[in-house]
Amino acid sequence: MSFLTPVFFLGALALAIPVIIHLTNREKKDVVDFPSLMFLQRIPYRSVRRQRLRHLLLFALRCLALLLLILAFARPFIESPTAANALPLGPREVVFVLDHSYSMGYEDRLERAKDEIRGQIVMLLPDERASFVVFSDRAEISNQPTSDKAQLNAIVNGVTLSARTTRYGPALKLAKKIVDESSLTRKEVFLLTDFQRLGWEGDEDVWFPADTKFTPVDVGSPTSSNLAVTGVILERDKINRTEKINNTSSSVRERLIATARVTYKAPEGDPPLETNIKLLLNGRSLQSKKLQLAPNSSTTVSFDPLTLPGGVSRGTIQLDADKLEIDNAYHFVLWPGQSLNVLLLDGNRRRSLYLDRALAIGDRPSFRLESKRMSQLSAADLAGRHVVFLNDVASVGAARARLLERFVRDGGGLIVAFGEASGRNDFTGDAARLLPAPLGGSTDRSRDWGGTLSYLDYGSPVFDIFGAPHSGDFSAAKFFRYRTFEQPIGSGILARYDDGAVALAEKTLGDGRVLVWTSTLDTFWNDLALQPVFLPFLHQLTKYAASYAEVNAWHAVGEVADLEQFLAVAGEDTAPDGERKVDIVVSSPSGTRTIIPPSEGRALLSLSEQGFYELRQAGSGSGTAVAMALASNLDLTESDLARLDPEELVASVTFRDLSAAAAPAAGETVADRERRQGYWRYLLVAAFIFLATETILSNRLSRARTVVSGVG
Amino acid sequence: MAETQERLGQFVDPHVLGRISNLKLLARSVVQGFISGLHRSTYLGRSVDFVEHRAYMPGDDIRQIDWRLFARTDRFYVKQFEADTNTSLTVLLDISRSMNFGSQGITKLDYARYLAASLAVFSQKQRDRIGLVTFDEDIVDFVPPSAKHLEIVLHTIDRVKSTKAGDYRKPLQKIAGATQRRSIVVLISDLYDEPEAILDAVKGLRYKGNDLIVFHVLDPAELSFPYDEAANYRDLESGEAQPFVPEYLRDEYRKLVQEHISRLTHTLGDNKIDYVLMDTSTPLEYALFHFLSSRERMTRTR
Repeated sequence: MSFLTPVFFLGALALAIPVIIHLTNREKKDVVDFPSLMFLQRIPYRSVRRQRLRHLLLFALRCLALLLLILAFARPFIESPTAANALPLGPREVVFVLDHSYSMGYEDRLERAKDEIRGQIVMLLPDERASFVVFSDRAEISNQPTSDKAQLNAIVNGVTLSARTTRYGPALKLAKKIVDESSLTRKEVFLLTDFQRLGWEGDEDVWFPADTKFTPVDVGSPTSSNLAVTGVILERDKINRTEKINNTSSSVRERLIATARVTYKAPEGDPPLETNIKLLLNGRSLQSKKLQLAPNSSTTVSFDPLTLPGGVSRGTIQLDADKLEIDNAYHFVLWPGQSLNVLLLDGNRRRSLYLDRALAIGDRPSFRLESKRMSQLSAADLAGRHVVFLNDVASVGAARARLLERFVRDGGGLIVAFGEASGRNDFTGDAARLLPAPLGGSTDRSRDWGGTLSYLDYGSPVFDIFGAPHSGDFSAAKFFRYRTFEQPIGSGILARYDDGAVALAEKTLGDGRVLVWTSTLDTFWNDLALQPVFLPFLHQLTKYAASYAEVNAWHAVGEVADLEQFLAVAGEDTAPDGERKVDIVVSSPSGTRTIIPPSEGRALLSLSEQGFYELRQAGSGSGTAVAMALASNLDLTESDLARLDPEELVASVTFRDLSAAAAPAAGETVADRERRQGYWRYLLVAAFIFLATETILSNRLSRARTVVSGVG
Repeated sequence: MAETQERLGQFVDPHVLGRISNLKLLARSVVQGFISGLHRSTYLGRSVDFVEHRAYMPGDDIRQIDWRLFARTDRFYVKQFEADTNTSLTVLLDISRSMNFGSQGITKLDYARYLAASLAVFSQKQRDRIGLVTFDEDIVDFVPPSAKHLEIVLHTIDRVKSTKAGDYRKPLQKIAGATQRRSIVVLISDLYDEPEAILDAVKGLRYKGNDLIVFHVLDPAELSFPYDEAANYRDLESGEAQPFVPEYLRDEYRKLVQEHISRLTHTLGDNKIDYVLMDTSTPLEYALFHFLSSRERMTRTR
């Protein structure tokens, strides 16, 4: 019931005045207007005397008549169902949006959510349909809308915890898609989650239509406490540096210092938590420490240094169990230090001094440098090599050029540097195919005090670490002479001199690449070798030529891991040789086996579980020790169980248009509207009847009083 | 623009106009500080305000890698900065009858109109969108936020009249339901309701991500109750009257009002809503200056 002209209710105030006058003993006649009596009414007033009302029936009749008159003028009407935004009747389209992120593993949240859904499934009518959107940071529709309760129950029972984080946006978009496409008249969305604050960004741009009922089902708890390993830092160093230079790095023992960061989130006022943290290596507990953590605090735990066994080691930092156990472990895999095999072909040992010294430094990766005369190069020398340097080589020769070309096409890297000895006549015929363009003469810049490097391609891996300000100054180096190309190079130029000539160019051949440096790598034609950037530049150049990528100690759930990188590192003495010939067998932490055949191309694996993935090449026996493994850890943002107010989420996804409320009800006729608004007539008639009764009653009372006074 | 100035002049008397003209100068610097804090975007982008380091992820712009940190830690981290943006300012002006009270020449409603107009002009100067909602028990006028609506806003402020009793829940929840974009929302009212009820009414706006500022406008007579004579005091909204003897009960009244203000301060503050008490005897520019400068200080430390 509403009123067309509610302003007439102000007339009701007139009723209050005589009542107050009658009921209160006015100590003063002044009336002072005051904004609100909110506070005055709270102060007890002790000196009010109440007067008795005389002729209560008469008084009630007058008040009632006035009220009816006011009501009639206020024009009451009954709101139509459409105008009141009432939900339509009919069968429902129900969408269950179920969170199975790993925070739902806190106590029995997921089970409670599933019980809630089972209860809703029981209440579904035969012509109603339901579907599921199961989500974490990804969302998927589990089934087409169906009325089959057995199928719906089977889906609920099949939902398990994932190792992923929460994001509400994609799931709500899918739910909206289902209700938008539904032909049923009533739509209802149940969101079953623990309402984690981190899953809601607030700007998801999802709006459910007004005819959709959105019901949040909160299975979280108002307060929660969680202990988690939120980060691990691994510091590795060689035990003996002398050993490192003389031996191959795989035989050198490494020392590990592991540091873990532990966070405890709990309501303020909770007592400090005492717990244990362990370091496990290859399944054996090596060290354990006791911790005491106050609520909402973090601490860093450093384990004592330990010597790593040879080969691949699997480690875990493990906390004692709490209500959310899954984030109490942090896994990592330690691979032996990698090294790159570099062959240096030069005509003059003295000119390779700077190159030789620069590559002797570095342990991630280390460089195993071997020198040979160009004339002594054979196919056996290239076996197992990652990079070959041609440092100012006088004569390449057709046969050796073909050897080098095959080496590059198979995935090797070739770096060519020019100087006094090498000239255009040395790179003709087969050797010319190694260069991006035919080689021209040399440019002498000694008259203008040397040229500088004016353009560096910071997008290239060679120079990307120098991109930020103060990250390496190449402009200080002076170039007095350099070779030029006879024809312009269209692409693959990584650096240019200030006159536009090419300083560093790249050419891709098969699976490998050739990098051409048009000046020397010593101090004869330039002084780059004396600049601080020379060493990192040469390391970057070599790593880029070898297509080197460092192996991560761990990955995060949700990432895609390149398995061939692991295989390449495991057989580190083999040179990159292009295509894989055998299947890769992957065992997930839950034991699921996946076979990736060579026909699928590059072996990529999407990580969806927490723990260690074991990798084998087909043919290696399952009984042997696992040679290759990769660690997968949770995204720890999900460990923060801070809650979102469900009302906030509901307010953000439901939108009410102000203009819709004012719009006339569709399909309503004038007669309908008149019927809804015609109650004023009855009220007016009733008011007149009361007034007539009051007149008669009042006349009688007046007459009686007159008679009594006359008698008196 | 001339028309806008004319409109401004219509509801500012010469005495107050002198103060307001001074306020423009005074507040310009304040507002710029106020804005640089308020207009932080929810997104991270490019600016001079460093926020945090984040581990480098494949796909990040390598120019953002902090090489000094790399030199120290041997790990790649990228620097993240705040982005700046413009925003909307929506003024929610309470025009219920209780606002039509003034013991010293200016009513609370007039004071609130000056305040709303001043904020609108400031925001317009920094190219923000301006909107206005006047409400009593329901929404009376609704001017959606736009960069071109200053004149409409001033015109609407000019012609407001308080005719009905006030309510917060219904109008404010309607506005929250219709709001889609995060903005600065300013509520100007005398807040005659329980603090919990007011919070309940405004939390919908807060939950939409709006930056909410509540100006509590009170007349000095409401704070100190300076009356001497015992009389019947009539509620401007309901018309109800009650006898009251100030001589005996004034202290108790003042205590209740101070408790109310204290509860409002804590209840709104706990929900990250700025609460400002405006006494209509305090010059508007003075009160605004203090609020803006304290907010600027708070914003710097957030």
